[in-house]
Amino acid sequence: MTSSTLAQRRPTDGRRASRFASTLIVVVILALLVVFFVLPVIWLLLAPTKTAGELISQFPLSFGSFDQVGAAWQHLTAFQDGVIFVWLKNSAIYSAGSLVLTLATSVPAGYALALTRFRGRKSLLTITLVVMIMPSAALVLPTFLELNLFGLIGTVWSIILPFSFYPFGVYLVYIYFSTSLPRDLLSAARIDGCNEWQVFWSIALPLAKPVVGLIAFFSFVNNWNNFFLPYLVLPNSDQFPIQVGLNQLLSSTPSFNPVAGKGLNITSPELALAIIIAILPVLILFLFSQRALVSGMLAGATKE
Amino acid sequence: MSPKPLNNTKKGKTMKSPRLRLSHRRTASGALALITIGALAALSGCASTDQSASDTAATFSPVAQDNTSEITVWADSTRLPAVQAYQKLNPDVKMNIVTYDGSADGSTYLQTKVQLFDRTGSGWPDVVFGSPTDVTWASQPTTAGSVPFAAPLDEGLVDQSTLDNFAKGSLTPCEFDGHTYCLRNDIAQVVLWYNKALMDQWGYQVPTTWEEYEALGVKVGQEHPGYLVGAVGDTNSQESYFWSSQCPAQQLQDDGTLRVALQDTNCTRMASLLDNLIAAKSVTTQGFFSQGFDGSKVLMANGPSWYGQYLFNSAFNTPAGQIAAANPLKWDGESDAYTGNVGGGVWMVSSHSKNLAASTALTKWLTTSDANLQSAPTYPAYTPGATTWLANPANSSYFADDISGPFETAANQVWTGWSNTKFSDATAWSSVVLPAITAGKTLTETLPAWQSAIVNEAQSVGYTVTTK
Amino acid sequence: MTTLEADRLATTIGIKPSRRRGVPRRRPGRAGLTGYLFVSGYTLFLIAFGIVPTGYAIYLAFTNDRGQFTGLGQFIKVVQDYRFAPAFFNIFVYLVMWLVLVIVVTVVVAVILRARMRPGLAAAFRFVYYIPGALAGVASVLVWLFMLDPAVSPASGLLRAMGLESFAAVLAPANLPVILVLIAFWTGAGGWIVVMYGALNNIPDEVLEAARMDGAGPWKAAWHIQIPMIRKWIVYMAILAFAAGTQLFVEPQLLQTASLGRVSSTWSPNQLAYVYAFQYGDFNGAAAISLFLLALGLIVAAILVSRSGLFKVDDE
Repeated sequence: MTSSTLAQRRPTDGRRASRFASTLIVVVILALLVVFFVLPVIWLLLAPTKTAGELISQFPLSFGSFDQVGAAWQHLTAFQDGVIFVWLKNSAIYSAGSLVLTLATSVPAGYALALTRFRGRKSLLTITLVVMIMPSAALVLPTFLELNLFGLIGTVWSIILPFSFYPFGVYLVYIYFSTSLPRDLLSAARIDGCNEWQVFWSIALPLAKPVVGLIAFFSFVNNWNNFFLPYLVLPNSDQFPIQVGLNQLLSSTPSFNPVAGKGLNITSPELALAIIIAILPVLILFLFSQRALVSGMLAGATKE
Repeated sequence: MSPKPLNNTKKGKTMKSPRLRLSHRRTASGALALITIGALAALSGCASTDQSASDTAATFSPVAQDNTSEITVWADSTRLPAVQAYQKLNPDVKMNIVTYDGSADGSTYLQTKVQLFDRTGSGWPDVVFGSPTDVTWASQPTTAGSVPFAAPLDEGLVDQSTLDNFAKGSLTPCEFDGHTYCLRNDIAQVVLWYNKALMDQWGYQVPTTWEEYEALGVKVGQEHPGYLVGAVGDTNSQESYFWSSQCPAQQLQDDGTLRVALQDTNCTRMASLLDNLIAAKSVTTQGFFSQGFDGSKVLMANGPSWYGQYLFNSAFNTPAGQIAAANPLKWDGESDAYTGNVGGGVWMVSSHSKNLAASTALTKWLTTSDANLQSAPTYPAYTPGATTWLANPANSSYFADDISGPFETAANQVWTGWSNTKFSDATAWSSVVLPAITAGKTLTETLPAWQSAIVNEAQSVGYTVTTK
Repeated sequence: MTTLEADRLATTIGIKPSRRRGVPRRRPGRAGLTGYLFVSGYTLFLIAFGIVPTGYAIYLAFTNDRGQFTGLGQFIKVVQDYRFAPAFFNIFVYLVMWLVLVIVVTVVVAVILRARMRPGLAAAFRFVYYIPGALAGVASVLVWLFMLDPAVSPASGLLRAMGLESFAAVLAPANLPVILVLIAFWTGAGGWIVVMYGALNNIPDEVLEAARMDGAGPWKAAWHIQIPMIRKWIVYMAILAFAAGTQLFVEPQLLQTASLGRVSSTWSPNQLAYVYAFQYGDFNGAAAISLFLLALGLIVAAILVSRSGLFKVDDE
């Protein structure tokens, strides 16, 4: 945001009454939205502090006790001998693995699309845009059959490879390079005797740090949260990422599945705790990278 | 955070550039192609869109066996401890234990995955816990040329004498074309549960007929408002009530057609009975298992044998010594009582297993051994095992009375006219009937909608349906 | 695509390379080769997971499981399925509500935040609205399962006031589109508010200043000046929201599990395709349904894109 432009605005005066009315409307709208967006989050954070019974009997936004969080944690980690850690590890492998491949393919591709010339460049760009707006879920079934053809079902590659295809990232890099990288710089480097690879590696890439960070962030978050593909193609519960694991926890919770094992102790607070654990990595990443992401965008913006 | 757009709109607008769009020419040619295809389809008489008919089951031929190979076991979380116990007793058997939803509530997870494995040609689990519904597809090839998932256990894997010891009719869902494709884990015969402490306190007689049950329900509604004699809002309530009433909701006929006749008096009598009690507020349209259900207000519950431990003991936390079970209710004028069955799983062995010996041994241990059955979470289908189970104080000490009588009686009274079909009977009930009665409609007026939902579903999986 | 990334994309769309100085004058052969090398990895992925699956889906939809050509047979078959029309009707209702809500609310809030707020405060609001964005997918549905159950919900008073006494009553079929819109809005709207704010921020202050001089109040200025100027971003949001809506799978699928089957397992077309493929083993029928979705998404996107000049492929 550019505070300098905002500071230039001068308050206008007059029309007090109507102004009061519209201020009231504004306050109500904003406040309602705050409640709508924040209340479920607060409830979620408080839920593991209570037992399943207290969740129902006590005021929804009351705090239970830390002991109960510990108990919920124990129940949760006891579920199938700590399978939740396996799920988290799987999520990390899938997300990180495809992140690496995404970066390795989309950054050079975006660069080439923006700054070099080759036959088919325009059609490649057009196809990229088309697949970006294509409903990807419609392609999950044929993708599955294709993975099967190559014998990849049941391997980590059946998740990592499809995740690595990230047209949005290519488009972002393309936009970035075509708007904010001075061509003169590249020409100068070439005249200095750099080959294309050196130009890319030592000139373009360092300048592209902000956009690389952006793609890394989105690709990671996207893949961390993906459900459909792993749900479909992974046969074993110890291969599940955490999102699919949450689904399994759900079907082990008695109030959502009456015949679920009574000895499991997976009830609402445990489920809530599992949700918190599942989103924690994304949430942390989200909070810490805020500043970096924004400055990345701004850096891009001010380049002009 | 606030990303700042990199340029302003005005500038973007003034610069003309070709836009990404389908050119008219391309659209036109696309349409032309589509018309051509349509015309071709009409003219040439295209091939049928029916799925290839599955061949009649060929004789079972096991894959190359390796008696030391690892077996993969899929169990639901309830049966997981039993499988783990087996692993402890037999540490030399290599086992990979996986949990899944166990096909509860009409889940098709297992079927989905087996479809995938049939496509990929590998990955099948060796032993699975599933619902009787699963056997209907597991005993058939999923696609032309594929081998049915379940191995016929009567072909040299399990002795006939063992099979003969399962409770009467409990293996019926396992049997197709004269072969037995699964072993029944447990049966869930419906009995009448009641809170003995309350019944005694209020001086009520335990009903023995549905008419008495209805009369008592109306009375409870007046004398003790808030107390309940039943609930119909669970995903399996239809099995407790309509199955027990011998309602032909899905009755396989000898000629292979499926009879769906919800206007039969056996159905309408139960619908009107429940409607009366719902009106009297002593039967709730909520489910017993819904979150926050107040179990202390439950005077009676017509439900499966596992209600005792799962509903009263663990969900309701009713103190020990209050709950008792009674024989299934019968209708006035009928000589025999019939009852329903709510769940009860099966174990199947994969026909693709490389280690049929270990797989079968595990399956037999799980379903027939005293060691496992005496402390099984639910009532065993294997008759000697059921006797052992009932003799174990841990399974009966919670109750106010001896439950053996009603359990054993009910186990032999399960009505066989409610067939095990290729679709789950929970789907139509949960997605059509429950929302309707939650919205305040009566069961009687919902029967036609229920009927058409079952008919639709049955036809979509290939049944010929009769509604007479 | 999540809205999280969408807002990034939005910040970059509509961009015209500012200095298109022509391509470096080099021998085309060498540069071309490098170009091919650089795009090779991505092109491989594009072919493997974009083009081939699309082609395969088309092939499947026009054949049967014996590989015989069936013309439009598969399409006719799925259209005649008793669940086809309800599923498409469901997402139609969902899409209408979702699009209207997300467009109206995000634009209004962005206008308010832009016009009447100290920058710091506006940033705080945007952040708060954005938080649920981290709970995408399964997590958000699970949270809402609790929010919608009067037994545990902090909003149980509100639910009861609407006559919804139990979770079962909340999950009545008529409520489902509303519930799914709520979930989608909760996780997604914050991101779009940020996008719209960014777009509004881009309008030169002089323009608004001039409007004010002419006596236009803040609402009038918003309606006549600001909103028309961010039209492109609104269209963009509509496209992505539409595409996401047609793909609805996870949310109804989880609701189906959690509601113990009260929600139909074929509520959305994607779920129906799933049932076809994995319950009936009918991949051809499933592909036909997928193609309907694909066509729907692409047609709508093509119309919106061509009318708004949204994406641009620069050429020399």
